[in-house]
Amino acid sequence: MINEPPPSELHSLVTENLASTERSDEVVAMWRQRTRIFVHNKLAVTSVLFLIVVVLFCYVGPLLYHTNQTNQATALNVAFNAAPSLKHWLGTDSSGYDELGRIMFGGEYSLSLGMLAGLITIVVGTIYGMVSGFLGGIVDTLMMRLLDAFLSIPLLFLLITLISVFQRSTVFLIAIIGATGWFANGRIIRGDALLIKKLEYSEAATAMGGTKWHIIWRHVFPNSMSNIVTVATFSVADAILFLSTLGFLGLGIQAPQTDWGTMMQAGSVQQSNGFWWEIYPTALMFVLVIVAITYVGEALRDAFEVRLLER
Amino acid sequence: MFSYILRRLGQSFIVLLLVMLITFSLPYFEVGGILAPAYAVLGTHANPHTVHLWGVQHGMFRPYFVRFWEYIDQVFIHFNLGHSYKQNLSVWAIISIYVPRTLWLALSSLVLTVLIALPLGIYQASKRNTTVDYVATGTAFVLYGIPAFLLGILMLQFFSFGWPHLPTSPPNGVAPWAMFTDPLGFILPVLTLTLLSIAFLSRFMRSAVLEVLVQDYVRSAIAKGCSRPRMLIHHAFRNALGPIVIILGLYFPGLLGGAVVIEAVFNYSGLGVQVVNAATISDVPTVLGVTLLVAILTLLGNLMADVALGIVNPRIRIQGSR
Repeated sequence: MINEPPPSELHSLVTENLASTERSDEVVAMWRQRTRIFVHNKLAVTSVLFLIVVVLFCYVGPLLYHTNQTNQATALNVAFNAAPSLKHWLGTDSSGYDELGRIMFGGEYSLSLGMLAGLITIVVGTIYGMVSGFLGGIVDTLMMRLLDAFLSIPLLFLLITLISVFQRSTVFLIAIIGATGWFANGRIIRGDALLIKKLEYSEAATAMGGTKWHIIWRHVFPNSMSNIVTVATFSVADAILFLSTLGFLGLGIQAPQTDWGTMMQAGSVQQSNGFWWEIYPTALMFVLVIVAITYVGEALRDAFEVRLLER
Repeated sequence: MFSYILRRLGQSFIVLLLVMLITFSLPYFEVGGILAPAYAVLGTHANPHTVHLWGVQHGMFRPYFVRFWEYIDQVFIHFNLGHSYKQNLSVWAIISIYVPRTLWLALSSLVLTVLIALPLGIYQASKRNTTVDYVATGTAFVLYGIPAFLLGILMLQFFSFGWPHLPTSPPNGVAPWAMFTDPLGFILPVLTLTLLSIAFLSRFMRSAVLEVLVQDYVRSAIAKGCSRPRMLIHHAFRNALGPIVIILGLYFPGLLGGAVVIEAVFNYSGLGVQVVNAATISDVPTVLGVTLLVAILTLLGNLMADVALGIVNPRIRIQGSR
């Protein structure tokens, strides 16, 4: 983890907060303190700002920079593989689509699908992990063996088999990536649930007659929130990566819609002709977005680890 | 230890049956159901009548559980993974042709990865928060953000179309020795796979060593006058090895299936590409057979990693034998 604040600084942050807040405000203080540590991390803040800019670029950009992204070029009679010019800022691709507009258009799909699929993986993984870890015993063993089975099938095989087995619609891509991406998340969250179940406050709640579902919902879930948020961040990055890999293998979003992976695949075909604008801008954008998301995840993890300092 | 291994083997077998159940059931949901391969096999001769005949011929209309039981019987009693309708080869033949090809790619990149990533991780941990560490971590981050296919494409651009003019693709002959006819062809795919694995493994190694470095026994070692290199190798490395062994056990079998993107980029017909092709033309036996093989290897990898962990870390061995 790079750029973590020096221990002395962390310590002063912690003590300052503990001293200045009342017990009832503890939760608020904890989140404020985490936010402060996150904000301290310059690279993380830059990453968040960059991601906001990218989202604006993809969704607001097309309103300012008008391009046609759905009609085939033949109907429009424009140039194929045209070099960047004032008319097409980043040139056009082999189908005659404006490349800059295409990056915005493809980005909408990459980001929204990645986001939704990532959300599915975290929701399913959390529910599965919580139930398995909390119930324990034979249910836990069975659920974990089933996870082992899923995990020992290569993810890409599973993904490709599912995609060739079912029809390829956008909704289905989200569902498939979500359905195959949650296994590792389930295991992480289960570990968390196991840990929290053993802590005093959960035992106290049990002793006072709290039902299992009450304890899961009111104690285990809120206390593993930090881990869930961190894992969710990485899940989104992974989902975007998976989508792009599917795009590269030709199993992704179908034309005329597109995503960054499909665009890079199309660009790589033209690469030997020296049409650099068809691959490098997209590639740069893609890598920066993934790095930024990963970095936010790392910074979140650092910020949440303050919990350990308090003990 | 022996009873532990036996118990783990038993558990692995149950997991394997689950894998088989999952993969066996998937084709039922396919468009056209389990008769989908018929269209691929019969091609232009496919009509409702011939498709029905094909189904009868291959016993597709028998009940689900009867078919599943026969599949288990066929795999475990007769060691027969089935017959590929499309390639007209037994699945074993397909595996014996393509596994060595992918294995060669995966093994050489694994050896390189371990040789580079482990020392790099230790070095980074010992030089924590210095420029070297930042540069290495930053590079790992970027490599993590690059999808495998993009890295492959960039490698091709710079080292094949660019100056050194390395071959774009490894030799693809069918003969077992064909892949050794042009060793230069392997440089780019192996290098790509290695770079990706290093990015991932060196970060694990770094954090594993960092966790060890704050332990009391490391402080004791330094206090008793142990030199820094000796401390790093004999104390830190040895103790950080545990998590790494587990990760390698999980990672290597995945490499067999996961190399599919690298194989596609460098136009190398390995196991992964075979499965992708088989899946897209609904060549069910091939997909089932190869998935089963990789699942067995993954489970064995897990098991071996746990056993190796006992060898590396005696504390766990004692706990396990109790």
